[in-house]
Amino acid sequence: MLRNLGLFSKISFGWLTLMLFFAIAGPLLPIPDPTAFSDVSGAGLFTPGHLLGTDLNGYDLFANIVIGSRNSLFIAIISVGLGGLIGGILGIAAGYLRGKTDYVLTVFFNIFLSIPNLILSLVLIAVLATSSDPTQTVADGRRIVVIIISLTIVIVPILGRITRGSTLAWSNTEFVVAAKSMGMKDLMIIKRHIIPNVLPSIYAVAFLAVGIVIVVEGALSLLGIGVGQGISWGSMLARSQGDLEYAPTSLFVPLTFLAFTVIACNQVGDSLRQRLDSRESKL
Amino acid sequence: MSELLQVNNLDVRFDTARGLLHAVKDVSFTLQPGESLGIVGESGSGKTVLSRATMGLLTMSTAKKSGSVKLNDLEITQLSRSDLRAKWGTEMAIIFQDPMTALNPVRRIGDQIAEGPRIRLGMSKKDAKQRAIELLKMVQIAEPEKVLKKFPLQLSGGMRQRVMIAIAIACNPKILFADEPTTALDVTVQAQILELISSLRTQLNMALILVTHDLGVVAGHTDKIAVMYAGEIVEIAPTKELFSNVRMPYTEALLNSIPRISNESGVRLPVIEGRLPDPTLPQTGCGFSARCKYATEKCHTERPPLVDGGSGHMYRCFFPLGVNK
Repeated sequence: MLRNLGLFSKISFGWLTLMLFFAIAGPLLPIPDPTAFSDVSGAGLFTPGHLLGTDLNGYDLFANIVIGSRNSLFIAIISVGLGGLIGGILGIAAGYLRGKTDYVLTVFFNIFLSIPNLILSLVLIAVLATSSDPTQTVADGRRIVVIIISLTIVIVPILGRITRGSTLAWSNTEFVVAAKSMGMKDLMIIKRHIIPNVLPSIYAVAFLAVGIVIVVEGALSLLGIGVGQGISWGSMLARSQGDLEYAPTSLFVPLTFLAFTVIACNQVGDSLRQRLDSRESKL
Repeated sequence: MSELLQVNNLDVRFDTARGLLHAVKDVSFTLQPGESLGIVGESGSGKTVLSRATMGLLTMSTAKKSGSVKLNDLEITQLSRSDLRAKWGTEMAIIFQDPMTALNPVRRIGDQIAEGPRIRLGMSKKDAKQRAIELLKMVQIAEPEKVLKKFPLQLSGGMRQRVMIAIAIACNPKILFADEPTTALDVTVQAQILELISSLRTQLNMALILVTHDLGVVAGHTDKIAVMYAGEIVEIAPTKELFSNVRMPYTEALLNSIPRISNESGVRLPVIEGRLPDPTLPQTGCGFSARCKYATEKCHTERPPLVDGGSGHMYRCFFPLGVNK
């Protein structure tokens, strides 16, 4: 499968695999405790004992990246997965049933697409995951759940519209009419003929969506409403936003990881889409 | 003998942006069990719409249908979606024109053939696979076990059409609709596919409705032929009778425009001048009158009724050929 891919795509695949490995195996890796102070603060890259340096608090940046990848990727994958599931079901319903269902769902998608996602997240977090008592903090788990919900709401209409378009195209094909003429029930046709054909285009866009969500999560952290006490790439950025002058690596390192991961997601999504196009042109 | 299929005054209109498009006008015909009917007509004459409307496959909201279709004396135009669906596949099945698009590109041939027996006949996975192999043998595909595992892309056009036929006959339909089954194939394969459909018809005692634009295709494979023009059946007769006693000038013109090996080279092939009338305009007079070389004033203003000329030969013409009035 990897054979036909360009170098850039291979690197992207490799990078995403590495990040996934960090996210899964992070705590088992021989890295310093990400929340332990060390005596060297604001160290540069390749300082002995600190591969990617430390920030002003003396936290090891590499350890923070590895542990933080779990929150960042976890949030992105879960919200895109949930959004894809809901958006996919709604999109297939709209595209296959047409008529009123299609009309209502399309209006619904358009309304949700018109809500700026940062403001939506801000409102949801302010209402659902902020404690009214400033001395008390809200549990991180609750924050994460609300962040995931708000990001899912952003993803549903995007993937829903893609799925709807693809379903419309595939349900007008002759083999769907042929299946109908054999007396197949609609659910059976959707399961056997629509989903297998629509799924690849959902995958392609889902990868792009993961990239978008990682950036949004970073932006939320920067605004101070991200994963509060826990570690994520976004919260690393938020913590060091004032330290550019004294410890530039503490900003550049998480930024680089964030940017590379988003680029890799986009590249993988694109190469998936190209493979789809070539598959279709072969028909 | 009781009729398997009775179509009476079937009429189909489509609501289009240009107005009401009258695709099928007042069509009636009958079909006995095991009988074969050829429906011939040029592009746009309504033959595909007729076959789909007969099956009840026209489900778009813009189609307006009237008239009656009786299958074994059961009126099927009034059936609910699910009752009608129960007839599809097991009573009536259809083969489509283009085997490239009528097979799902991402599913294996075996799964697609076994689908009907699995779901409609409730066979077990193993039995359905056995049935698929049997069906592939019936449509004369060599090495059926290997073909089961292939994807449609890996088969030639003729093979795919054979697979389509296998899918259509999987649940032993009483009537097989073949909608231009050979148009997308090259000439040598066409003959084989027609031969196959004919032999399966006798083998399984199916009735066949063969829709085509090629009179040569239906000639050797059908018991009777209906010629369609502008949504109407303009002539219907047993095949032999039709070819020996052409009554309708349109049929004659169609026959004349078939290229023959005896044609001298360099001589222009006879064509039918003009085009089909606009189906969104109301029809006055005979649909063919504008292109008919025998047409008179009467033909342009009065619509000819379907006349019974004896020996099962019906035609819509005021001045039928070979009949002296």
